[in-house]
Amino acid sequence: MQWSRDSRLRMKILTIFFIVYVVLLSFVPLIHQVYVAQSSWLGYGTGAYAYQSPSYFVLFNDPYDGSSKPNIHVNPSMAPNERISILEFSDWTSYVDGYNLFNDFNVTIRTSSDGKTLDATYTRPQLTLHKLIELTSDAVQVKMIANKEVNVHVELWKWIMTSVNTITTTSKPTMIPITTSINFTFNDQSLNATGLGEITLSRTPTQIEIWPFENGFNRVTVDFINSEMTFTVSGSITQPGQVSWSYADLPYVLPVIAIVVVTSYLLLAKRHGQENKDHPSRSHR
Amino acid sequence: MDRRIKITLAALIVRLAIAPFFMHSGDLGTIYESSAIALNGGNLYSFVYQQTLQMRYASGLPLFFEGYAYHPLLIYFFVPFYWLYTAIAGPGLVIIGGHFPNLPVLVYPYAFLAIFMLKIPIILADVAVVYLLSGFDVKKAEFYAFCPYVIFISVVWGMFDAIVAIFLLITYLTLQKKSYALSGFAYGLSTMKLYTIVLLPLFIFRLWKQWKALGEFLLGFSVTLLPVAYYMIVSPVVFWNVLVGFQGSRVMGGVNLYNFVWIVPDVQFDLQISRLPTILLLISVLAIVLLYGRRLPLLESILSVMLVSFVFGAVLNEQFLVSILPLMLLCKRCDARIWIAPFIFIFLRSAFYYFAIPILWTSPYFYDLYFQADTVWKYAQTVGYLMIPIYAVGIAFSLLLLWNLIQVLTTVDAAGARTLSRIMRIRRK
Repeated sequence: MQWSRDSRLRMKILTIFFIVYVVLLSFVPLIHQVYVAQSSWLGYGTGAYAYQSPSYFVLFNDPYDGSSKPNIHVNPSMAPNERISILEFSDWTSYVDGYNLFNDFNVTIRTSSDGKTLDATYTRPQLTLHKLIELTSDAVQVKMIANKEVNVHVELWKWIMTSVNTITTTSKPTMIPITTSINFTFNDQSLNATGLGEITLSRTPTQIEIWPFENGFNRVTVDFINSEMTFTVSGSITQPGQVSWSYADLPYVLPVIAIVVVTSYLLLAKRHGQENKDHPSRSHR
Repeated sequence: MDRRIKITLAALIVRLAIAPFFMHSGDLGTIYESSAIALNGGNLYSFVYQQTLQMRYASGLPLFFEGYAYHPLLIYFFVPFYWLYTAIAGPGLVIIGGHFPNLPVLVYPYAFLAIFMLKIPIILADVAVVYLLSGFDVKKAEFYAFCPYVIFISVVWGMFDAIVAIFLLITYLTLQKKSYALSGFAYGLSTMKLYTIVLLPLFIFRLWKQWKALGEFLLGFSVTLLPVAYYMIVSPVVFWNVLVGFQGSRVMGGVNLYNFVWIVPDVQFDLQISRLPTILLLISVLAIVLLYGRRLPLLESILSVMLVSFVFGAVLNEQFLVSILPLMLLCKRCDARIWIAPFIFIFLRSAFYYFAIPILWTSPYFYDLYFQADTVWKYAQTVGYLMIPIYAVGIAFSLLLLWNLIQVLTTVDAAGARTLSRIMRIRRK
């Protein structure tokens, strides 16, 4: 095959342009993660929201899923890309005046104009409840505000807590002394990390119950009667466990993949071009 | 029996045997639900628009419900078969839900029949492609007839890009024979999936100044626009939002270099950055049409526009390649083995058992196994392991498309070189 010089140059320019384009775009996730995604609620998927602060990653699931409402993760200081879940609020198993938060309410999710507050509004006849989520430098606040005094049952999940307020084992669900501070130690099963968590309540609850699972607990339920309650959640990792790979590492890997694939392409194209030069008949099938 | 008939029959039998037992729940569910709406005289786009508004209201995000967002004519290929199905099974729903992220509820035994009937137009399109290709080269027909990728897309997945493929092939063949009205009509039908719209400037450019031919072509094309005109009059806002709004502002991604966007969880940012490929698509299509539109032979010019739109376009789904595979097979300079990349991609993006839902939902044991397997799959997805090969295959496929594009574009040089050597031979004599 004889290519004209002009055409060869044009194809070379096209190839070089495309390869540079591929490699440059591969940095977009990294640029987004470093410069755009910090400290603001961002919506994605089918309506989920996420917030990445320097030390916490908070996920609020889409309106079609009752789990992770929100799910609070901590980024260990020794491995900032790791996201270790410390506490998950579940709408599947939480109730307001006997109505299930997931099944019995209409939900709309909005962010504040500065992107710092997420407002999930739960409505049903004569009842409106706001779940406002904000992050400070050292904690995550989940504020529940209703339009009247309500009887609330909130379930907070963690697989698994090794102790709650110094209690390490119980054989059945157990009510613990009423307090506004719940401290727990945990074992993160997926990463085998251990750490500490704290939930501070702004109002005195009517009941706190812990639920045994395997060698610890997998949830704490908090009941209260009030029109307002703030859960301030904080945590830290004492031992990071098997820190090897995290989803948040992907933006660093994509440019490498892009470079490897385009280099392989260039090598193969060069070999193919050489073969065609040596055996011109091969260029036509 | 004639070999041509044998291959066509074999292609038909293979497809009929597979068809009832597999499906992509979201896509086949959309066709099922849209066929029911169309048969009952409903507005196809209202349902999708309502769902979109509901999603936006709930989430506060500029999301689109992924339902029927195609040319209105498409559904009329399926409606007769859906009607036939209801004549046998009755009007009761047998595929309920199934739009992402939900899984469908299937009512047996008629779910199998519904799935089978809705795939018949796709199978017929596939078989017609095989028949036409075998008129040129039996080997190429065999390639298409038994290509695992084509079979998967058409009868395992139940995606209808084979219908686009047959109409694009007919467009090319009729244009070659200068049957312009028929060609325009076939081309209009190929736009049932809007990505073939990029060819319109090419056809106009090639027929420019051949006013009679251009007029006939546009006349044929405009016939297929009648249902579009109907919906534009009856429900302009809904139609515009669902068809143009959705297709025009989709977040980039697919089997291409842009799927990195799937790890950027920020829909506003994703929408903004998705404008870049759209701009590049417009520029590149225009450049190809103006620079090569007339210099290349018809087949190569069609392929070059489609390939460049696949290379730079924002969205390139796994099934799109089916639409141009017959033309690639006819083109000596293309390498049709390119199908391997999107075929691999399918299994990286969706778990293989997802397509077997009609079989797995028949027994509680299999149903349970599905969720056990899905836990492992979702873990691999959540942790991000699958994203690495997904991204690599996406880039590789874009590069393979580029390679094919370059081969097609250099047809000009090959043709020039052949002419030159012919002149030299004559001179020597």
